[in-house]
Amino acid sequence: MAEPFTTPGARFVDPKVLARIGNLKLLARNVVDGFINGLHKAPYLGVSVDFAEHRGYMPGDDIRFIDWRVFARTDRFYVKQFEADTNANFSVLFDISRSMSFASKSISKLDYGRYLAACLTYFATTQRDRVGIVTFDNDIVTRVPPSAKHLDVVLHTLDRIDAGRPGSFEKPLFRATEFFKRRGIVLLVSDLYEDPQTIIDGLKPLSYAGNDVMVFHVLDPAEVDFPYDEATSFQDLETGRKMPVVPEKLREQYRQLVQEHIDTLSRLCGENRIDYAFFNTAQPLDHGLFKFLAIREKLNRVR
Amino acid sequence: MGFLAPLFLIGVVGLAVPIIIHMIQRERKEVLEFPSLMFVRKIPFHSFRRQRIRHWFLLLLRCAALLFLILAFTRPFFRAAALAAVTDGAREVVILLDRSYSMGLNDRWVTAQDAATDVIDGLAPDDRATVILFDNGAEAGARSTIDRTSLAGLVADADVGSGVTRFGPALQLAGGIFEGSDLPRLEAVLISDFQRAGVESASGVRFPDGTVLTPIHIGAGDATPANVSVAGVLFEREYFSGRERVQVAARLTNRGGAPIDGLDVTLEMEDREVETITTDLPANGSMTVDFAAVTLGDVPMPGVVRVDSDVLPTDDAFYFVVSPGQVITVLVVGSGRGLGDAETNLFLTRALAIGTAPAFDVRTTTVEQMTPSDLTGRQVVVLNDTRPPDGSAGRALADFVEAGGGLLVVSGERSAWPLDAPDLLPGRFDSPADRAGRGGSLGFVDYSHPVFEVFSGPRSGDVTTARFFRYRPVEPFAEAAVLARFDDGRPALTERRVGNGTVLLWASSLDSFWNDLAKKAVYLPFVHRVIEHLADYASPTPWFLTGQVLNLAATDVTVGDGGVAAAEYVVMSPTSARIPVDVSGQRASFINLNEQGLYEVHDANAVDGQPSVVAVNVDLAESDLSTVDPEELASMVTGRVGGTRETEASVARALAADDLERRQSLWWYLLIAAALFFVAETVVSNRLSRTALSAE
Repeated sequence: MAEPFTTPGARFVDPKVLARIGNLKLLARNVVDGFINGLHKAPYLGVSVDFAEHRGYMPGDDIRFIDWRVFARTDRFYVKQFEADTNANFSVLFDISRSMSFASKSISKLDYGRYLAACLTYFATTQRDRVGIVTFDNDIVTRVPPSAKHLDVVLHTLDRIDAGRPGSFEKPLFRATEFFKRRGIVLLVSDLYEDPQTIIDGLKPLSYAGNDVMVFHVLDPAEVDFPYDEATSFQDLETGRKMPVVPEKLREQYRQLVQEHIDTLSRLCGENRIDYAFFNTAQPLDHGLFKFLAIREKLNRVR
Repeated sequence: MGFLAPLFLIGVVGLAVPIIIHMIQRERKEVLEFPSLMFVRKIPFHSFRRQRIRHWFLLLLRCAALLFLILAFTRPFFRAAALAAVTDGAREVVILLDRSYSMGLNDRWVTAQDAATDVIDGLAPDDRATVILFDNGAEAGARSTIDRTSLAGLVADADVGSGVTRFGPALQLAGGIFEGSDLPRLEAVLISDFQRAGVESASGVRFPDGTVLTPIHIGAGDATPANVSVAGVLFEREYFSGRERVQVAARLTNRGGAPIDGLDVTLEMEDREVETITTDLPANGSMTVDFAAVTLGDVPMPGVVRVDSDVLPTDDAFYFVVSPGQVITVLVVGSGRGLGDAETNLFLTRALAIGTAPAFDVRTTTVEQMTPSDLTGRQVVVLNDTRPPDGSAGRALADFVEAGGGLLVVSGERSAWPLDAPDLLPGRFDSPADRAGRGGSLGFVDYSHPVFEVFSGPRSGDVTTARFFRYRPVEPFAEAAVLARFDDGRPALTERRVGNGTVLLWASSLDSFWNDLAKKAVYLPFVHRVIEHLADYASPTPWFLTGQVLNLAATDVTVGDGGVAAAEYVVMSPTSARIPVDVSGQRASFINLNEQGLYEVHDANAVDGQPSVVAVNVDLAESDLSTVDPEELASMVTGRVGGTRETEASVARALAADDLERRQSLWWYLLIAAALFFVAETVVSNRLSRTALSAE
């Protein structure tokens, strides 16, 4: 089969996924700062079909916006003002710590995350949002600031990343806060091997700065099910520490701990208005992404 | 008892390995990498009691397995049996007789037969022999026989064939006979003219050690003779007064060192001489001779180009079958509404007006005027920017596709597919979608499909350069295949099989309104390949080469008038021999095309009773009569540099150690025994481990 794109990294933009989510929109829940017209709500008044308020006529105002009905009732000039729509900054915070390179079957968490990030970045570009990416392990590794022209750069970055060093959340998330001064959408893709409270503490500043934060928790099926049989030594990919383990005696307890970790993350994210989604790399990517976006769009409509 | 590789006995020290395993901790050494041990509780790995041998039986199993493995590698053999074999001087002789068509030069074939007969006469009473006749294939008569009469009869009955010299298959077959032989002395006699072109196939063939290869070079002292051959023909087609004419051009080569003057070149069509041209041919050169154009009829015409016979007459004639240019009948159905109908069909009909192999017979109509009779004799229907026909025409269209017709549905402004229309489409299409800006392009193309295969090579045209500004989103059904998608993932070309027919749905238009494909260079081949695919068209084969196989039952093999359906056949070879064709059950009907000339395939069920004709020519690689040194070939096959003939005593000595070990093959039994011990060890150790675990 021929490669449909030529940009390195474009192979992560999966037409199957895009076809599945093509009818949805990735809308910011908050108001965001943008430059041009887009799909998201802006903090300013501007030009759209949504009426916002009336304001007294001032010399210099365009007389086309004078509400003549109000004038007929009050004998005073008022102009109509409308909500403004704008585009948003869509940034990916990509965890490239060594644990992301783990793959029990065909696809690693890193590749799965690449597909997620590439598809959503491309998707955001199609709705005229500005896209960027920040990769980190125990520190910021690369940073591509959001721009309408940075799709190729983001895809190049995704193509080049290599998960080789141990990771942490506290320091990189703290430093990343400096990058997101303008309100936008921030997507964290990670396996989240950290204390949930530490992760949430790192994400809170981003959320409080007005960003719409989303967390994609990517895990391999072997990390969830722990399907190992034979007693052997396990080595931590990040710390290199070895540990003799009898999996069959540990399995149930391990599964319980992982489920508790996921539940805690989900709860804490909900409490802080952060969208959380769990992805198992054994599941089709388009299915999970479609479900997440559909729920998010439905919730947006309610609000 | 002896050992071929006694150094392996050093491996006996490896017997210490299982003891060491027993003495040290049995903890698994491989480490499993895991993303994070955050959740993994640390459990100390249980240590076994060690420094005391507890399972003596397991230890013995492991030692025995290793011992047998080491013994297998030392390749042991018994000398008593070797002595018996050496004193027995019986030989396994394989006579390889070259029957390629170059052996027909002068009296080479008679000389070769005499040489083979001499070898057979020289066989001792205990010797066994095999005769292998070879050209590009190899065929053995009675294998490893002591029947001298049948061997001599096989040589006497053999004749020169039409194949080319390939030493590889024959030497491989001989090697297989030697491998299976239990006689102590192996000898091969290769009787050939040793053409250089045949040597390459022998690379990689190796006789068992100790085999003696005796080459007999036929025509060794002859100077390379002058040889003219007809290398091929080309057809130039033209239409004159509504009839198709073809001009035949023949390529001649002269492989001799002297120019040839006054060479007569004759074109015969259907056994009648059409034209003779006299020409001069330069030394070691080639030239093309153009004959006057010949008018073709409705059926394929067999023909042959001949030159004056020379020392190698086989390559002096070239046979072919000229098929009348095939025509694919197409019905283009427009909407008939609005002003744009003519423009909608313009690019499509102009594209189909070009092309001769095949040509396209295009008729246009409108969907309102279409009647069932319009489909008669048509192979492909194009619904170009319109709805399907109503009533009887609609039902006739569905029957047409079910019966094997092709249907191309082209989307456009006026396209529609009502709910009551026949279920023919590969998918459901929606109202048109616009692509803003520079428009979309094709993002995925299935280059393995016949429609796009032509664009798969480099510099073969790029279909993705076309810009699409509007198209209908298509939702393909489960049974449909998507052959191309736009860059937003939506299907562009979708295929579905309906009955015996094929339906293609093109999501955009084939004019210049919705896209600029019609203005691209790829438009013409794209449209042609789509129509050819829908019409299930395959180009006819004007000739085959000897050694090829013809499958009569395959519908995609087209000979002469475009294919022979599975039926009752009578096949006549060029020498008028009847070739039996197996048409029983589900087996395909294959014919080995071994002779040069015209094969006639008579189909008992054919309506017109005309036989199909298949032309077969020899491979001209054989016309190159340059030779290779026979000693070089013998060295390559036997692995010994220098003389190929050795004294009988030295051969017997060479056989004593390694050949006898090969015949006894004790290592094989030892290896099986070692494997069995390993299996037993695995079972026992697993059971012991499980018992130990459950006890804890």
